[in-house]
Amino acid sequence: MKICARCILPETFPGISLDDNGICNHCHSFPEIESLMEQKKEYENRFVELVRKHRGINEYDCLMAYSGGKDSTYTLMLLKRRYGLNILALTLDNGFISPNAFSNMCEVTKNLGVDHLIFKPRFDLMKKIFLLASENDVYSKKTLERASTICTSCIGIVKFVTLKIAIEKTIPFVGYGWSPGQAPVQSSVIRTNPSLMKATQAAILRPLSRLAGAELKQYFLGEAHFSDPERFPYNVHPLAFLEYNEERIIEEIGNIGWKAPNDTDSNSTNCLLNAYANDVHVKRFKFHPYVWEIANMVRAGIMGREEGYEKIYGEQPPELINEAKKRLGLPTN
Amino acid sequence: MRDRVRKFIFDNFLFGADEGSLKDDDSFLEQGIIDSTGILELVAFLGEQFNIQINDDELMPENLDSVNCIVNFITRKKQPA
Repeated sequence: MKICARCILPETFPGISLDDNGICNHCHSFPEIESLMEQKKEYENRFVELVRKHRGINEYDCLMAYSGGKDSTYTLMLLKRRYGLNILALTLDNGFISPNAFSNMCEVTKNLGVDHLIFKPRFDLMKKIFLLASENDVYSKKTLERASTICTSCIGIVKFVTLKIAIEKTIPFVGYGWSPGQAPVQSSVIRTNPSLMKATQAAILRPLSRLAGAELKQYFLGEAHFSDPERFPYNVHPLAFLEYNEERIIEEIGNIGWKAPNDTDSNSTNCLLNAYANDVHVKRFKFHPYVWEIANMVRAGIMGREEGYEKIYGEQPPELINEAKKRLGLPTN
Repeated sequence: MRDRVRKFIFDNFLFGADEGSLKDDDSFLEQGIIDSTGILELVAFLGEQFNIQINDDELMPENLDSVNCIVNFITRKKQPA
């Protein structure tokens, strides 16, 4: 299989073309690092201005979607310490959070002085969604570039449960720990609005409900939530506009009690379903669901090509895949 | 402008599908062509390609959810105030 000589995207990636030197079209159209830095500064300034305007008015300033992984832990720390926000951390327990991630969450929220809410949807429903999403074409082709269908299902529920709680509690910011490779800087500070959220919710809820049943509606916004645009929060993912250095992040969050887990795969620091989700995706679509994120980081100079290559083209741990299959009620190898 | 928008949609969301598979009035969200993150990628593209600043309150399906919506939106944005 041919792989881009610069960023590690494989020839099986949707819409890719490789030139005579083996460099892909995405590398050719990637912006210059200097112009990216200017944009980052612009978005951080925007966020700082909004923090000045909205901090301290409501019960909480920010609802942080907190998975207990490395990036969301670092984001939680930055939002608390660098921007001085009063935060409610929210974890959606999908039934596959690693014990080490739970222990990290307890330590980190205690040491940062952050309130923490854990929301655990019914496991039978989550299991049904994961099984159906792994076998069916539920989402747009584009989503396949960014994550496995299992992850997309889980994240979709996380996004709407988080938005729902932010609206109900009138929290002005919702924080996400997307890495710079996962989401562009242009979307790092954006205010959500009822009409767009209604349309995007329908786009995910319609196919999911068709497969898993109407009970899913309880995790999404109802008509009443759309009635007041003023209660719709700003979505913020600060790692897109701040410096991202994995070694330094691990060192800094180590100071607030976070320990690198040894019970997850190389692309996750919190989820025991991830290895299986990756395995299914690679088998169905012939490329790794993290390759877009990691390739973006390699292009931006945030991660070395060799390290990126190792994360993507190393073997998925069979014991984690089997454990996830067992919990999903699937036959193991 | 229309051709540039269509080319972006085909190159980035439909991956070389047949030209006739997308009508200019087709809803991207209803047809499952673009999701919420895709909308943000589309916004980044429009901002850079047409040199316009898109405000948060303009991020609405009415402005972004089909080729025609986008073309009308950009045309309005480009008109002198």
